[in-house]
Amino acid sequence: MILVWLILIPLVGGVVAGFVGSRNVSACRWISLVALALDAALAIGMISQHLGGFQYESSKVWFEEFRASWIPVLGISVHLGLDGLSSLMVLLTLFLGIIGVGASWSEIQERAGFFHFNFLWIIAGVLGVFLALDLFLFFFFWEIMLVPMYFLIGIWGHENRQYAAVKFFIFTQASGLLMLLSILALVFVHRAGTGTLTFDYSELLGTQMLPAVATWIMLGFFIAFTVKLPAFPFHPWLPDAHTEAPTAGSIVLAGILLKTGAYGLLRFTVPLFPEAARSFAPVAMTLGVIGIIYAALMAFSQSDLKRLVAYTSVSHMGFVLLGIYSFNEFALQGVVMQMICHGLSAGAQFMLVGALYERIHTRDMGKMGGLWTTAPAFGVAGMFFAMASLGLPGLGNFIAEFLILVGSFQASVPATTIAALGLVGATVYSLWFMRGAFFGPNERGWTIVDLNARELVLIAAFVIGLVWLGVYPQPVLNAVAPVVQSLEKMTQPVTAALLRS
Amino acid sequence: MTEAQFVALSPLILVGLAALVVMLAASFKRSNGLALGLTLAGFAASLVSLAWAAKVAPVQVTPLILIDRLALFYLGLVFLTGAAVALLGHGYFEKRAGYRDEFYMLLLMATLGAGVLVATTHFAALFIGLELLTISLYALVGYTRTEPRSLEAGLKYLVLATVSTSFLLFGVALLYAELGTMEFGKMVDLIRQGGHRETLVNGAIALVGIGIGFKLALVPLHMWTPDVYEGAPAPVTAFVATVSKGAMTAVLLRLYLLVGGAIPDSVMTLLSVIAILSMFVGNLLALLQDNVKRILAYSSIAHLGYLLVAFIAGGNFAPEAVTYYLIAYMATSLGTFGMVSVISGREREAEELRDYAGLFWRRPFEAGVFAAMLMSLAGIPLTAGFIGKFYLLAAGVDMGAWVLLGSVVINSALGLFYYLRIVASMYAAETSAKPGAAAREVALLGSATLAALALCLIWLGVFPAGLITLIRSAVLGV
Amino acid sequence: MLDLLWLIPALPLAGFLVLLFAGEKLGKSGVAWVGAGSVGISALIAGLLKWTFLTSPPEGHHFTQALWTWLDVGAFKPEIALYLDPLSLVMTLVVTGVGFLIHLYSVGYMHDDEDYSRFFACMNLFVFAMLILVLADNLLLLYVGWEGVGLCSYLLIGFWYKDPANCKAAQKAFIVTRVGDTAMALGFFLLVTQLGTLQVQDLLERAATRWEPGSGMALATALLLLGGAVGKSGQLPLQTWLPDAMAGPTPVSALIHAATMVTAGVYLIARTYVIYTLAPAAMAAVAVVGALTLLIAGLAAFAQSDIKRVLAYSTISQIGYMFLALGVGAWSAAMFHFMTHAFFKALLFLAAGSVIYALHHEQNIFKMGGIRKQLPLTYRTFLIGASSLAAIPFITSGFYSKDAILYQAFTSEHGHFLLWLAGALGALMTSAYTFRMVFIAFFGEPKTHVHHKPGWVMNFPLLALAFLSTVGGFIELPHFMGHAQFFADFMAPSFAHAAGHAAEAHHGAGLEIGLMVVAMALGLGGIAAAYVLFLAKPEIIEEKMKSEGNRKLHAFLFSGLGFDKLYDTLFVNPYCWIARVNKRDIVDLGYSFLAAVGMLVHFLLGLTVTGRVRWYAAGIAAGCLILMSVMVFT
Repeated sequence: MILVWLILIPLVGGVVAGFVGSRNVSACRWISLVALALDAALAIGMISQHLGGFQYESSKVWFEEFRASWIPVLGISVHLGLDGLSSLMVLLTLFLGIIGVGASWSEIQERAGFFHFNFLWIIAGVLGVFLALDLFLFFFFWEIMLVPMYFLIGIWGHENRQYAAVKFFIFTQASGLLMLLSILALVFVHRAGTGTLTFDYSELLGTQMLPAVATWIMLGFFIAFTVKLPAFPFHPWLPDAHTEAPTAGSIVLAGILLKTGAYGLLRFTVPLFPEAARSFAPVAMTLGVIGIIYAALMAFSQSDLKRLVAYTSVSHMGFVLLGIYSFNEFALQGVVMQMICHGLSAGAQFMLVGALYERIHTRDMGKMGGLWTTAPAFGVAGMFFAMASLGLPGLGNFIAEFLILVGSFQASVPATTIAALGLVGATVYSLWFMRGAFFGPNERGWTIVDLNARELVLIAAFVIGLVWLGVYPQPVLNAVAPVVQSLEKMTQPVTAALLRS
Repeated sequence: MTEAQFVALSPLILVGLAALVVMLAASFKRSNGLALGLTLAGFAASLVSLAWAAKVAPVQVTPLILIDRLALFYLGLVFLTGAAVALLGHGYFEKRAGYRDEFYMLLLMATLGAGVLVATTHFAALFIGLELLTISLYALVGYTRTEPRSLEAGLKYLVLATVSTSFLLFGVALLYAELGTMEFGKMVDLIRQGGHRETLVNGAIALVGIGIGFKLALVPLHMWTPDVYEGAPAPVTAFVATVSKGAMTAVLLRLYLLVGGAIPDSVMTLLSVIAILSMFVGNLLALLQDNVKRILAYSSIAHLGYLLVAFIAGGNFAPEAVTYYLIAYMATSLGTFGMVSVISGREREAEELRDYAGLFWRRPFEAGVFAAMLMSLAGIPLTAGFIGKFYLLAAGVDMGAWVLLGSVVINSALGLFYYLRIVASMYAAETSAKPGAAAREVALLGSATLAALALCLIWLGVFPAGLITLIRSAVLGV
Repeated sequence: MLDLLWLIPALPLAGFLVLLFAGEKLGKSGVAWVGAGSVGISALIAGLLKWTFLTSPPEGHHFTQALWTWLDVGAFKPEIALYLDPLSLVMTLVVTGVGFLIHLYSVGYMHDDEDYSRFFACMNLFVFAMLILVLADNLLLLYVGWEGVGLCSYLLIGFWYKDPANCKAAQKAFIVTRVGDTAMALGFFLLVTQLGTLQVQDLLERAATRWEPGSGMALATALLLLGGAVGKSGQLPLQTWLPDAMAGPTPVSALIHAATMVTAGVYLIARTYVIYTLAPAAMAAVAVVGALTLLIAGLAAFAQSDIKRVLAYSTISQIGYMFLALGVGAWSAAMFHFMTHAFFKALLFLAAGSVIYALHHEQNIFKMGGIRKQLPLTYRTFLIGASSLAAIPFITSGFYSKDAILYQAFTSEHGHFLLWLAGALGALMTSAYTFRMVFIAFFGEPKTHVHHKPGWVMNFPLLALAFLSTVGGFIELPHFMGHAQFFADFMAPSFAHAAGHAAEAHHGAGLEIGLMVVAMALGLGGIAAAYVLFLAKPEIIEEKMKSEGNRKLHAFLFSGLGFDKLYDTLFVNPYCWIARVNKRDIVDLGYSFLAAVGMLVHFLLGLTVTGRVRWYAAGIAAGCLILMSVMVFT
């Protein structure tokens, strides 16, 4: 039941904030904050019981489970479940949710009630995605989070917001429908084999089907998730969406929404179709590698700061794709780390860029330069996250990328070699970012207010998170170890499994 | 006529009676409110009588009409929709000069026609129902006779519908000439047995198909739709888009169930092409359209294309998928055209996109409802439209109709584009040029109807299980 | 006592954090105390540890302090642990000792800079990162320091960020080294995959047992690690960033780009020497890289006019010597040269800094002239450093360390005559360009005015380093000068595995003396040549420069032998070109094209909507025709 509350609290909080917002703007901010904090407290309370002392009991697959009938005639139920992987994602979601409310505290003055309504509903939708164990329910949440995000971009976005919002919606919706087709196909294949019509994840696991069928069905999932990830060549919606979205929108987009794609690959694509996923690995890895390099290059060619950071996200998600399809513990652990660390570092970068935009009303690096002089704290923060983004050792992103590459090295040396060049690309764009915004002469004579107390607190939260994950990532690794190990096991070639037994 | 037959027929009789009563009442007192009241009472009575009729169903009333669970279900649907149109029309015509009572009378007549259609098993009854419906619609479409556009639309509809009906009539005549019966069931049996002139029968079926396709506005018989939808008064448009198409779908469904999927491949291919074309033509035409009524008209072409997909796919899911999709479509179309009627002002209808600029901030309630309707049309979760699309895809996947499904996916993206254009214009900043049409006064009844519809949509989107069970019992007799 | 080890990196880190968060509030003297003080205490602790090592060495001559387990994935379990052995101890001593002196010097040098606390914060962070690098127990932790020093190098090269040129130099340094680092990271992946650990000692042990000498794995690993080393240490082919790195303040050049960071590559190879001994081809590559680099950098140094760029090229060249030594298996000789080089090159930079400081940021040696009289102390210390660099026999530390390298380049089993020859020619060039600089800058007519003389905080480090540059060499003497090989003996435990591979062949003293005489002659010859060409008869050069060919040659040498241009053409320009051309993202354009097709079809279909009833009726008729024909004819 607690899982239902996790989703309900932001839903209800959103409605309340929406109603209050038209009368009292500040109250609706507080309501959102309190709702998310309450949710986070609930989540932490529950998860810490299971990860208490960071020990994991392998006897149980799910920490918490909830099951209720929904549309019994179609074999659809409300089935929620939480394991190590979803725990981390839930925590990340709530963390970034709270940050997002904080980051939009002064940015959103117009129609704040509706803004917070949408924001909290995004959070609720994402939480649903991370918790759903019924494929229909999963798809339901998957689509639900799009609408408020569309409004967030379309209403509070920047100049070209309409275009970006529609593009975002269409890309994700069209690919989502492909996934729906795949879900249905899987369900019917399962029905043909067993005679029961069900959308339940645990029952659909291990469905027997012909390899060709499995490949086709898997493709639907794969495309939906890689559009969301996004991976090359499905990425073009992201730069636009990021660029035009308001700060909080960018934060949750980069921090959480993209992660639902990676989560989907980990939770559904690979476990449901291990064989097909394995034979598809070369393609997926290639896409990942191309994404890493191509997006790094694209990031470098941008002059709009948000666009730049958006492309870095694409590049970083390329690592995720590469890692997932390496199918070994190193890479998969790295993927989860990357999901979290990228959520933090990109979220922080978007927050910084947003805070900067609030002050100078431009995102064009051509109009910046030399900001370090007038806002050193900004510069230090920018430097920190630029370094996180290029994978500076000591910060979480490094652990993530290192583990992914170690893992992928075992799967494919050429892919890893090219992917490693992405590290150089990352250096180029990160330094380009610093040079464009903070270094060089302050030709326009900007004098801006440095980060204020609220922003410093939010930034500090990001910094602490990244440093902690960089020097002591073990809790995260422990939490997902069982998930990762079972993934590794199910993707082993059958012969290897036989040999082992 | 036995008692059972009478009871079974009572819903239709009551609606016919209501039409008479409204006509008579008008000769004593001309009142929008009174007429509405009588109309609603008529609908209510026939809806109540459905339960009564259900007890005796299935009953064959003369060779013409069969009152079974399918018919009862669709009758309920048609009557409910008719009642909603009446409610919407009240506010709409209240704002306008001229007499309003005839609207209700015509509406009841048209609904009666639709009712006959859904319950018919005989081409003669089919023709009667169709004509009853269509002739009422001529008048309804051209109802605001002071407006040239409305008259033009009425005339267009008159001419084109007559053409298409004559095709149908000719087809029926040929069938009768060759098979010697006009009963659906017998016809199907005879065709199955063979021993007739194939060419003639096939040609006749094609001609009948033209009549049905015209009503459903499938490509290439779709061209009247935008003009008629645009010209007709908004509540009437709602009626055309919902009741008339719904009733025709019921006929198709009945035929489909009778045939039981034994359709030759060439016909299937043809239907597939029609479905795909309908989807693409409808959606592509709507893409950059600035007139909301025309957008919705085009979108309805596409939606019937989607609906056809379920038919073509066949399989276990098809009947319930068709029905669920149709219900979702009818509810949302009613809602969207209803919104146009409610938002419209005295001088002209709110049909341009710019009329909706800033609606979210001016009238958040209506805008919210409208957005929900559009999302339902786009098939986004939390709405009935989503479940409808889900069903549709399920039917398609079940039978492996991948080409059609691919078209559905692409068209969903196209559709989303223009639905979002409307949504976007609603939250855009208000344009400086005062939208002449958009009245600020709220038609209370209309808004309440819409609110009920929206709730209904969301309810069906979140808890579809009840309706699914109902549909199953209706269409499959389970 | 050894348990204090963690304090050595922790103190500079603490200093960094204090300066980062409270730097503005501390005031200049506070900043100086925190900045230099933290490193000073670290140096003291390092000294104590050295004392412990000399008096009561821990078992096996190494000491590991494990702090916590970093990660634990599968069998791979790197720890946050510090490892102290003679090799890392020497590095630690140099880093903290020289580092402290340079910090002290900076207190004076940077006094008027507005970003005083940022400077010291970065410097402290650098020392911390460098100490992590040298003390790391595993390569993953080493990588933390490795990239950390890279970051600090970037921050400090671009310290005066308002000048775009400085930013560019900083970026270049970071990116070029990162190219090497990527190779190195691949090496790590290979090691984890093959040996399952990055813990250095385990690694060496497993490599020695699992890999055959000359095996492909060892070769690949060694070459990949070499990639990182050449990047960081400014060796061919990644040397191009180092001369530009002189854009940073002079103490930065002294600390990072001369004494410590740039020798990280040397340290890395020495640290993982077992892998190299398993891959003779890689050793040869190291030696060849070193030999080529020292020659090329020596040539380029001749043409420079910026005093710091001369020193930068000489740094590249001297590190080339260290690589040469590593390549021939002369591990401790390489480290010995590292140490003496740290002393005298830091000294040279600091002395040059004093000149620059005194001449108000004048760095062109041709605009100096005659300052030996105005800045006698600076002149004398510079001369000591220059002598050491030029390896003036017997009295300079550079002589001993370079001699050890040359000797082993010839005699070691991995050595070769050509390697020795390159080293010897390098010695000639070194002394020539060094004294060219001395003669031009310090002798002759004064061309500019001394603005302010450096105070004691700047002079003291000069004196201390001058002292070290002189006596630092006496701890390791050639064999024939009595067996005073303290350094090699001290280092021996760190290279225990190499005993069988690179034992110094004991040739007769005659060969040793002969080689030394040749080298001495070349060195002194270089000085003489410099004297003739740049002090006594400068007209010879002027005459030569009149020819077009020679001017082109000069320009070629000045540009560092055209490497920048080459890389610009091959990598930088294409990359920027693609970035510029593809700014709109061709993939996105693909989708836009689809959208445009949709719009086009929309307009085409729109033509069918005419509003005419006859047209619509025709539509129905046409539809009927098609329908009929399909139904009837199929």
